[in-house]
Parts: sequence; C-alpha cells; structure tokens
Amino acid sequence: MRERLFIVTMLLPAMVLLVLFYGYPIFDNLRISFTDLSLLGMKKGGNWVGLANYRELFHRGDFGHILFNTFVWLTATSVLLRLLMGLGIAVLLNTRAMKKLRLASVARFALLIPWATPPIVAVVIWRFLLERNGVVNETLMRLNIISQPIAFLADMRAVWPSIVAIMLWNTVPLIALSLLSSLQTVPEEYYEAAELDGATNWQVFRFVTLPFLMPAILVLGLMSVFWSFNNFVYVWLATGAGPGTFTNVLATEVYLKGFVDFRLGYSSAIGMMMAIIMGAFGILYLRLVARQQLEETL
Amino acid sequence: MTVPASSRHWREPGAWQLVVVLVLAIVTLFVLVYPAIYVFFGSFRPAGGLLSAAETFTIRNYVRIFQAGFGRFIINSVVICVAATVVSTVLSIMAAYVFSRFTFRFKRALFMGILFGQVFPWIVLINPLFVAFATMHLINSYFGMILTYTAFTIPFSVYMLVGYLVTVPKSLDEAAIIDGASRWQVIWLIICPVMLPGFVATATYAFLLCWTEYLFALAFLTQTDLKTLPLGLYQFFGDDYVDWGAVMAASVVTTLPVFLLFLPIQGWISPGRIAGAVK
Repeated sequence: MRERLFIVTMLLPAMVLLVLFYGYPIFDNLRISFTDLSLLGMKKGGNWVGLANYRELFHRGDFGHILFNTFVWLTATSVLLRLLMGLGIAVLLNTRAMKKLRLASVARFALLIPWATPPIVAVVIWRFLLERNGVVNETLMRLNIISQPIAFLADMRAVWPSIVAIMLWNTVPLIALSLLSSLQTVPEEYYEAAELDGATNWQVFRFVTLPFLMPAILVLGLMSVFWSFNNFVYVWLATGAGPGTFTNVLATEVYLKGFVDFRLGYSSAIGMMMAIIMGAFGILYLRLVARQQLEETL
Repeated sequence: MTVPASSRHWREPGAWQLVVVLVLAIVTLFVLVYPAIYVFFGSFRPAGGLLSAAETFTIRNYVRIFQAGFGRFIINSVVICVAATVVSTVLSIMAAYVFSRFTFRFKRALFMGILFGQVFPWIVLINPLFVAFATMHLINSYFGMILTYTAFTIPFSVYMLVGYLVTVPKSLDEAAIIDGASRWQVIWLIICPVMLPGFVATATYAFLLCWTEYLFALAFLTQTDLKTLPLGLYQFFGDDYVDWGAVMAASVVTTLPVFLLFLPIQGWISPGRIAGAVK
C-alpha cells in the first residue's frame, strides 16, 4: 500500500503535465475545429459551424498543393535522401581506407558540427550562403555553371531543392552517426564468411551489411517521417511558405490560418487532418519503434 | 599478411580506392563544416563579408546586436530554459525511477503514452494551448513558457533517464532500504551520484531543446521584452533588408553555448537513442 502511494506520488506530477499539454489540447483542438473561433474574438468564443471548416478545406483549390508539398517534398524527398546520404556517409566512414587515412575520427567530429547546429541557425547559415551575391552563386558563376545568379529561395524551380538541402545538411549527420554505430556491431564472422565465399565488396554490402542495417534504417526512416512531416521551422524560416504560398506545407498552413489570418477554427481543422495522418503513421510507430524501445528500455 | 582483427573484413585497400575514399571524404567534410565556419568568421566582418571589398576584422556586429537589445533575449532564454530544465529533469527523474524499479498496473501503457509524446505533432497543440493560455493570462509570461517547455521535454527526458536507470542494479536500492534508508534517500544518496553523468547529459540536452525552440516562443511571446533568443535572431531579418552582420553575430551567440554544452555530453548521448527520441 505504501509502495503504491509512492509510485503514484512519483508519477503524478509528470503525468498531470502531459495530460494538460497533450491530452487536453488534442480534444480541445477537435472542438475548436467545429467552430468559427477567431483569434481576435476569443473572449466571446466561436460559434458552432459543424463541418463547415472541413468542407471548406476540401473545396479549396490550394489544399491539394499543400498536401503535395508536405508529402512529396517535405517528407518523401527529404526522408529518402536523408537515409541514402546517411547510409553513404556511415559506410564511407567505416571503410578500411578511411581508417588507413586516419580520417575516421576527424570525420566523426565533423558530423557533430551540423548535428549540434540548431535548426534555427542552420536556416540562417544557408540563407546567407544562398544569397544572390552569396558564396554558392559566386562559386557556380566562377565555374561557369550558371551565368546569372539564382535566387535560390525565391525561384520556383530552386526553392524546394534548397529547403530540402538545408534540412539534409542539418539532419543527415545524426542518421549517419547512428547507422555508423550499428555498422560497428556487425559481427566480424559475417564478413569473414562472405570473404571466404569470394564475395565482392558490393556483394558484401548488399548481402551482409544492408540486411544487418535494415531494422535500424526502418526505425530511422519512420522517425524521420515524423520529424519532417510535422516540421514547421525549416519552411517557415527559409521562405515563410513563399514565394507567395508556393512552399506552403500543412504545419505552416496551420500557423498562417491561425495566427496570420486569425481563423483558429479553420486552422484547427487543418491540425486535425495532420493529427489523423500522423495517427496512421502512429500505428506503424507503435508496432515498429515504440514496442522495441519499450523492450529495450524496460 | 596479418591485418588488425578489428578491420579484417575489408581487403587491403588499393591505391585507387584510397583516392576515391579520400576525395569523397574531403567533399563530405567540406560540405559539413564549411558553412558553419564561414558564418563564424563572417560574424567578424562588415555585412558578414558580403561586400567582398571590406576584408577588415570588426566586432561591430556584436556591439550592434547588444545595443539592439540582444542581451534581453539572452536573459529571457536563460531564465525560461534553466527553470524548465530543472523542473522537467526533477519530474522526469521521479517518473523514470518508478518506471525502472517497480511493476505496476498500466505501466506499459503509460510508458507507451510517454513514447508517443515524442512523435506528437506540436503544431497541432498550438491553437488549443493558445486559447487556454489566453484565458489564464499565460501569454507573454515566463511562467507559461516554463510550463510549456517543462511539458515538452518530459517525454524525451523520461525515455532517456529510464534507459540509464535500468542499468543500475536494483539490489543497490534494496540493500540500502534494508539498512533503513527511505526511497527518497535511495534516489538522492545512491542513484543520483551513480547516474550523475546520465542525468547531466539528459538535462543538458533538454536545455538545448528549449534554447533553440522556435514555434511555441513565436506563438506565445509577442511582447518584445519577453522574447527568447531564437525570436531575437530572426528580428534582424527585415522585410526588404537583412542586416547580415547582425544576423551572423546573433547566430554565433546562439550557437556557441550549444556547442560548448553539446561536446562534453555527446559521449553520453548515443545517436541511435537520440534519433529515436527527438523530433
């Protein structure tokens, strides 16, 4: 009995905060999404409008564009490239040649720099490098690759690749470092066996290394989907969803509709869409990641 | 020929292999490191070095941001983040201790719930929290921000701390309890000293999450004298003019503490665990 009291006392403060900050808001968000609540008229509250916000959302021409940006650019492209580059760097750092050149530890340190750089600063850094007269344009012009400077974050052809590049610079190192630590746990015998069978380097990678890393890649990929899909800062700080609303994604749309257009009701409806989509991924997360984390940790 | 056991798995690399690896490595290292270094040195040059004629060293960018009130943002950030980190770490240690030591009903479900908090889309919480904060006068308040950051670092901290605590044998606690110690004494006198590096690493990382948080600060802090560093950094981006010198100096001021805190703890933070824990 005393023990039970102790357990409850110890858990209660953290749990109360979590319920207040995660549990309650998600239900209140649902309620707000059925009203026309305005940021300017919060005192008088919103009127119940039923499904009007959701109806509007599906009938607006730009919602498809926002979904496309969120799924294709912000999530799919960035996640796939992040995994590919992370894997590439991890494998590179783990090669015999790299050790022979004594570069492995230098490279590990180098990876810490973009990893430790806060996203807010990473965006600043790249906005500066990608300026009209910035170092990227200057270099490309000197190499005669382009003749006119490109407005990377304003040109419709360049803006998405640029945002994705910023995200990658900032987030690939963590993926690379965690894949590198998995790589170092591949049992030596696997390689010896492959070598005895006369496997080429590529075959060793394809049939020994990759299958061994697959569980880690899956988990990182899934976590990466969450970071990317829900991310607000990269797009918001790099382009403010512009030029116009060309790079608008769900997260920036929630903020724009709620805090720029003052339409909290409509904004909450978009938020609910995000929560539903992430809920679907949440099931995958529970199955693949959370259970594993639970077993590992408890 | 004998090769070291640790790297027996790759054949002795040939010369061309060395060259390819070297070129790839240099390109990768350059792309990773150069942007950060460029900004660091740019912060000591007029206009961040964009006017290539002006090569001179200057600290005027730094002077200018502090004249523009950057010191105020630093104080706000320090107060909010330190308070949130302390409260969050204490509450998380309490919860993590129970998770690592006892079996009780709903334990797995509760822990799953906490893990779920790590992938929860924060942006969805902004509207309802703003409405709730507005009615409770927590917009533009230190207290509101501290509560928010406490709540949002708890899932990460509990997850990390449980990971450390399960490595401390339960027999240690039991022996102390037989000797007449209370549970609180066990935590304070036995667990804390043993796990101190883990606690410090977790708290530091939680602090860094707050230090660089942008979205909640943007929504809940509208009064200039209450704004935190990340908001302060972006105020140097004007609508049609960017004061690059100031922006870069402010970036360095924001990032330097991050590096100084991050480097000593990174041995305690496994990338694999972090990748599964932060957004």
